[in-house]
This record gives sequence, C-alpha cells and structure tokens, in this order.
Amino acid sequence: MTAEAAIQQQRRGLAVPRFPPGDLAIWIFILAELLVFALFFAAYAFTRMQHIALFDRYQAMLNRDAALINTLALLTASYFVMRGVVAAREGQGRLCARWTWAAVGMGALFLVVKSSEYAHHLHAGINLSTNTFYMFYLSLTFFHFLHVILGMVILVAVALKAGRGGYTPEEHTGVETGASYWHMVDLVWLVLFPLVYVMK
Amino acid sequence: MNTSFPTRGLIRPCTLVYALLIGLTCVTWMIGRSGVGGPGVSLLVLGFALLKGHLIGDWFMGLRDVRGIWRWVVAIWLLVPGGLIALAFLLSFRG
Amino acid sequence: MQYKSQAVAKPYFIAAIGLFVGQILFGLIIGMQYVVGDFLFPEIPFNVARMVHTNLLIVWLLFGFMGAAYYLVPEESERELVSPGLAILMFWVFLIAGALTVLGYLLVPYSGLAEMTGNSVLPTMGREFLEQPTITKAGIVVVALAFLYNVGLTILKGRKTVVSLVLLIGLAGLAVLFLFSFYNPDNLAKDKFYWWWVVHLWVEGVWELILGSILAFVLIKTTGVDREVIEKWLYVIIAMTLITGIIGTGHHYYWIGTPDYWQWWGSIFSALEPIPFFMMTVFAFNMVNRRRRNHPNKAAVLWALGTAVMAFLGAGVWGFLHTLAPVNYYTHGSQITAAHGHMAFYGAYVMIVLTMISYAMPMLRGRSAANSEASQVLEMWSFWLMTVSMVFITLFLTGAGILQTYLQRYSSDPLPFMVVQEKISLFYWMREVAGLMFLIGLVVYVASFFVGSRQPEATAVVEGSAA
Ligand code: HEM
Ligand code: HEM
Ligand SMILES: [Fe+2]
Repeated sequence: MTAEAAIQQQRRGLAVPRFPPGDLAIWIFILAELLVFALFFAAYAFTRMQHIALFDRYQAMLNRDAALINTLALLTASYFVMRGVVAAREGQGRLCARWTWAAVGMGALFLVVKSSEYAHHLHAGINLSTNTFYMFYLSLTFFHFLHVILGMVILVAVALKAGRGGYTPEEHTGVETGASYWHMVDLVWLVLFPLVYVMK
Repeated sequence: MNTSFPTRGLIRPCTLVYALLIGLTCVTWMIGRSGVGGPGVSLLVLGFALLKGHLIGDWFMGLRDVRGIWRWVVAIWLLVPGGLIALAFLLSFRG
Repeated sequence: MQYKSQAVAKPYFIAAIGLFVGQILFGLIIGMQYVVGDFLFPEIPFNVARMVHTNLLIVWLLFGFMGAAYYLVPEESERELVSPGLAILMFWVFLIAGALTVLGYLLVPYSGLAEMTGNSVLPTMGREFLEQPTITKAGIVVVALAFLYNVGLTILKGRKTVVSLVLLIGLAGLAVLFLFSFYNPDNLAKDKFYWWWVVHLWVEGVWELILGSILAFVLIKTTGVDREVIEKWLYVIIAMTLITGIIGTGHHYYWIGTPDYWQWWGSIFSALEPIPFFMMTVFAFNMVNRRRRNHPNKAAVLWALGTAVMAFLGAGVWGFLHTLAPVNYYTHGSQITAAHGHMAFYGAYVMIVLTMISYAMPMLRGRSAANSEASQVLEMWSFWLMTVSMVFITLFLTGAGILQTYLQRYSSDPLPFMVVQEKISLFYWMREVAGLMFLIGLVVYVASFFVGSRQPEATAVVEGSAA
C-alpha cells in the first residue's frame, strides 16, 4: 500500500462516524421503544400458537387493502423524510421543509385509513375483550398509532424550523433526530404488517 | 462522506431502495390476498419484512455509514423478534 | 450554601430523620409480632403498628422531598425562595398534623378515629398507605399546594434548568395523583383500580422523576461533569420511566376484576420498568468515573452511588421477579411482595433522601462543603450497616416468600396459610435480627451528626492518577 493510499484510507476511516445520525439520546429512546414492540411481537407469535384456529379466522376478517395503503403511506413518508435530510445537508432548508411536510401528509393518510378501520371495528362491537386475537391486534396497532402521531408532531416541529431556515449544512442534528424517530415508526410497522395481517 | 446520498446520477440509489420496498410490500399483500399460508409462505413473508427493515436501517436511517455496534442495531433488533416469530410459527406448524 | 432561604430545608431534614427512627421502631414491633403474636398485646395491635410503620415512611419521605426541593431549587434557580416564611409555616402545619394523626392511630381505635374525624362525610380511610383521616388528607393537600406555589414560583421567576423542571413536574404529579386518594368508590375493583393510581403511579412514575432530578443535582455538584451531559441522561431516563411505568400499572390489574388484557399490557410494559433504573445506575457510575474533581464529601457520593445500585436491585430486579402475570399468579401478596417493597422503598427513596441530606446538611450547618473526616467515617459505616441489613431483610423475606408460595399455592397438596406461617417462622426471626442491625445502623447514622463537629472539614484526597 502506498503511503498516499494509507493516508487516504485513514482519512476515510476517520470520516466514518461512530454514532448514528441525530442526537444519541433519541437513539437510546428508539432502542427502548423497539424493545417494547419486540416483546409485543413475540407475545403475539407465542400466544397464537395456542389459538391458531381463532387467530387465522379473525385475521382473515381484517382489511388487508387498508393495510397495504398504510404500508405504502409509511414507506413513502420515510422516503420523503430521508430526502428532507439530504436537502438539509445540502443547505436547502426550504426544500427540506417541503419534503418533511409531504411526509407529514403521508402520516395523516395513515391516520385516516387506520381510523376508518377502527371505526369499522367499533361499529361491529369489537373491543379489547372480544377475543385474544383482537386484544393483540387492537393493542399493537393502537400503540403503533400513537407513535405515528408522536412521529408527526416531531416532523411538524422539524418542518417549521426548516422552513424558517433554522438548519445549516453544519448544524442540522434536529432534522436527523426527527428523521430517525420517524424511520423507527416505519420499521415497526414493516414487521407488524405481515405478522398481524398476513402470516398464518 | 455520505455514500447513501450521492446527488449525481440518473436515479439516486435510495430511490431504487424505495422502489424495492414498495415492490416487496406489494408481493406481501398479494400473498395475503391469495389466502395461502403454511410454513414456507409465512417465513418468506417474514423474510421480506426483515429485509425491508434492514433496508430502512441501512439506507434511510443511514446506518450503513456508521462504524461499530450502532451499524448493527437495527439488524440485531430485526433478528431477535424475527427469530422468535419464526420459531413460534415453525413450532405451531409442527404441533 | 449560596442562598439564605435554603436554610428552610434544615428543619425538614431533621424532622425526616426523627420520623425515620420512629418508622424503624414500629417496623421492629411488627416484625416481633410476626413471631411472638401477643407482643405488646393489647396496647399496640399489629394492624395499628403496621399503619404507623408505613405512614411514617411516607410522611418522612415527603418531608425529605420537600427539604430537598427547598435546598435544590434556590441554587438551580439562582434566586431566593419566594417565601421562606411560608415554608416554615407549612413545616409546622405538616409536622403537627402528622403527629396528631399518629397519636390518633395509637390512642383511639381506628373506627373511633374515623368517627371523630367525620370520615362518613367523605369516606377515604381504611386503605393501605391511605389510612389517614380525611381531614389529614385535606391538610396534606393544603401543605402540598403551598409548597408547590413556593417552589414553582421560585423556579418560574428564576433560571430554569432541566433538573429543576423535572423536579417540579415530579412534585406536581405527586400532588395531583394524591387527589385520587379522595376517590373511594363502593365497587371494590374500582377502589383498587384507582388506589394504584396513587401508589403505583407515585413510586413507579412521578417519584422516579423526583429521584432522577435529585440524583442529577447531587452528581452535578459532586463530580463537576458538564450539566449538558447529565441533562441528556435525565431526559432519556424520564422518558423511559413514563413509557414503561404508566401502562406498567397493569401489573396490579391481573386479579382484581379488571379485563384480561391487563395481563398482557401489565406484563409487557412493566417488564421494561427496570430499564430506567438500570440506566440510572449506569448514569451515576459513568458520571462519577468522568468526574472533574474529587469532592470532599465522600459520604454523599457513596450515598448517590448506593442509591443507583440499590434502586435497581430493589425495584428493577426484585420488581421484575414477580411482575409477569404467570409468576404473579402464584406470588401475589406473598412475602415476596414484602421483600420487594422493602428493598425498593429503601433503595430508591430512603436512600435518595439520605443522599440529599448527606450532601446538603454540612452546608446547612455552616460547613463550606463537607463534614469532618470522623463524622464522614461514621456516616459511611451507617451506610453499610443499614444497606447490608436491608439486603438481608430482603433475602430472608424472599426465602420466606418462595417457601410460602410453594407450600401454600404451588405444591400438589397445598397447606393452609397459618400452617405455612408456622413453618417459615425461622425466616421471620432472622428478619427481626437483621432489623435490629438496621436500627444499629440508624443509631450510628444519627450519631454521625454529633461526632467530629468541632474538627476541621475533610478535604478532597488528591489521587495519584486523578487529573
Ligand atoms: C422504587 C420503585 C418501587 C417501589 C418503591 C415499589 C414498592 C412496592 C410496594 C410497597 C408494593 C406492595 C404494594 C402493596 O400491595 O401493598 C409493590 C408491589 C409490586 N411491585 Fe413494586 N415498587 C417499585 C418498583 C417496581 C418495579 C420497577 C416493578 C416491576 C418491574 C415492580 C413490581 C411490583 C409488582 C408486580 C407488585 C405487586 C406484587 C403483588 O402482586 O403482590 N415494582 N411495589
Ligand atoms: C427503611 C427501612 C424500611 C422500609 C423502607 C420499610 C418499608 C415497608 C413497606 C413499604 C411496607 C409495606 C409492605 C407491603 O405492603 O408489602 C412495610 C411493611 C412491614 N415492614 Fe417495613 N420497612 C423498613 C424497615 C423495616 C424493618 C427494620 C422491619 C423489621 C424488622 C420492618 C418490618 C415490616 C413488617 C413486619 C411489615 C408488615 C408486613 C406485612 O404486613 O406482612 N420494616 N415496610
Ligand atoms: Fe407497581
């Protein structure tokens, strides 16, 4: 290896960050949240073992089309958020704000679709005590639903600040922090969707 | 510095990743609609989900640029509940 | 001491320690009655002495929290308290109301006390920890409001720091949740349901905020680590506490007539409640290792680290032990619960109050930073005596609890309650012995305030390796 290459490699090594983008505190928080969901998922899977017929029967009654729309909405929101981060890095605050607002819109779409599903269940008289499947389905999705709302609140704060030109290419930790949280919300749904709506 | 976000080129790699995510989602949905089940199908669907999660972690959360343990947090998180879910489903097919 | 009005903390701390002694004496009495049934019969019945033991605990911890707040808030806010006079007035109101209540417990039959105090107008008595007559409860609310006004206004008028805001939220939450003690529905399931909103949401919710902020304050002062670093930790700990602790209330809703889903919610969320306690341990040790200076008050640092460890053991580990519904099915209300209750209360709240007293009292008594070497040595002895005794009390009760659960609830031919109690009485004897050791530790603790007062202040030892 030439000396020059070695230096270059070393430089690249130094450029590789040791911590994920955003404030480290949000990552600790994300880990904790992921842990809660992990427990919930495992509890679902193992409880299902005892009630396979029941789970399959009621799973079939869920609205998979709504779940598809919601998955696409969250994925798209995540994509928008990511583009917002790129824009912030490049110093384009207004563009960052626009991408982030678009993501908030996708989040809102999710909330509308999910609420319509809940309205449907409510109408059918289904609640947490109906049966074990619905207990899990409602708890898991509603807990996630609350996270979507929290994620949107954070994104709105980011979008407002970005629109005011509050971020610079040097200092835009806030954008990355909000983005990381939002991606977590998406990540959780990516497992929740097949587990609750599809796998049998 | 940030390999995830090159700005030149026709289509950004992250946009391709996004397209892949959408594609995998649609396949999952079609499997659900077709009503097929069983160990192979379920694990395939689960595998898609874990792959998607990994893509989100790597490309959207930007972990592929990170060194050390944080590089793998999302991957590890996916494997733990993923493994438990797989185990529960496999056991339920056997029993 | 930087602000004159911080001095109001002193009577609060002294009262706290006095009541602490009373609490332990009554603990020993009921511990004795566990094995010698007619001990002190008929003067002090078990139920009365138990009530005095637990109520004194709560009251002295409240004195401790208030004293801590009165000391901490002026320093954080960088201004004098809004009204030191009000603080002193409330001290006497609270102390006299508390003393009258305890005398009422001891001198009047409980039902008579209820009648005397007009319980029938708004019945709130007769529930564990909330046995106080309704008028005492009203008095507590008045004291709490005056206290919050005093502390809150000081914070709002002065410098606002994360530490003081978290403390204020914790204290306000404490007062608000206490209001549920006035709600006493006839339906027993509902009664229990809301009772836990006071008890659980206190110790596994708002009190944890108080704990976190006092610990952060003492660590900032004794280690010199950047406030920013400590505040970030505090944020994460608080967030975790609330995420897990609020729905974690469900671990008390398994068998009281509440819907089934609580078994899942309670198990999953409360299983994660140890995390914030664990983070506190890591936090405390991390800060002490990164310290910029060696503080001359070594005893205070010891108490702070001790709190972090013992809170994790008592609340985190011993709590987790019986928090999952399938386990709790067998252990519910057994000696395992008592083991956990003792170590958690001691490790988290007794120790944090003693940490604050240890840090603040030297200044309140005119020292510049720390007590004399002799006094600190004695205080550290008392730390070890009390803490080790509490570990033993916990272990003996855990042993008793495991046997009890097995013999009475799990084995293929379960034995009746009293038969089992007979079989495990050896553990109760050993608990009493450990309790005596605890009392000795407490006496040493009190003595540490009177020893070495005239000797010069301890100075920070310069370690060879310290930067
Ligand atoms: C410093 C914090 C804590 C304190 C002071 C504390 C104190 C107590 C006390 C005094 C009781 C008995 C209540 C009664 O029935 O009279 C209790 C019960 C209980 N605690 Fe804690 N606790 C704390 C934290 C925790 C944590 C973190 C967990 C779970 C991980 C936990 C799990 C439980 C459970 C499951 C019960 C019910 C036991 C039963 O069914 O009999 N506690 N706690
Ligand atoms: C700082 C130290 C102490 C703290 C924080 C403390 C705390 C408590 C608490 C929270 C309870 C209610 C437990 C529950 O509801 O499960 C309790 C009950 C009790 N404590 Fe303590 N205590 C302490 C010291 C002692 C000592 C030294 C003894 C005696 C050796 C003792 C003996 C008892 C007994 C016998 C009960 C009644 C248990 C029952 O009803 O079955 N305590 N204590
Ligand atoms: Fe609890």
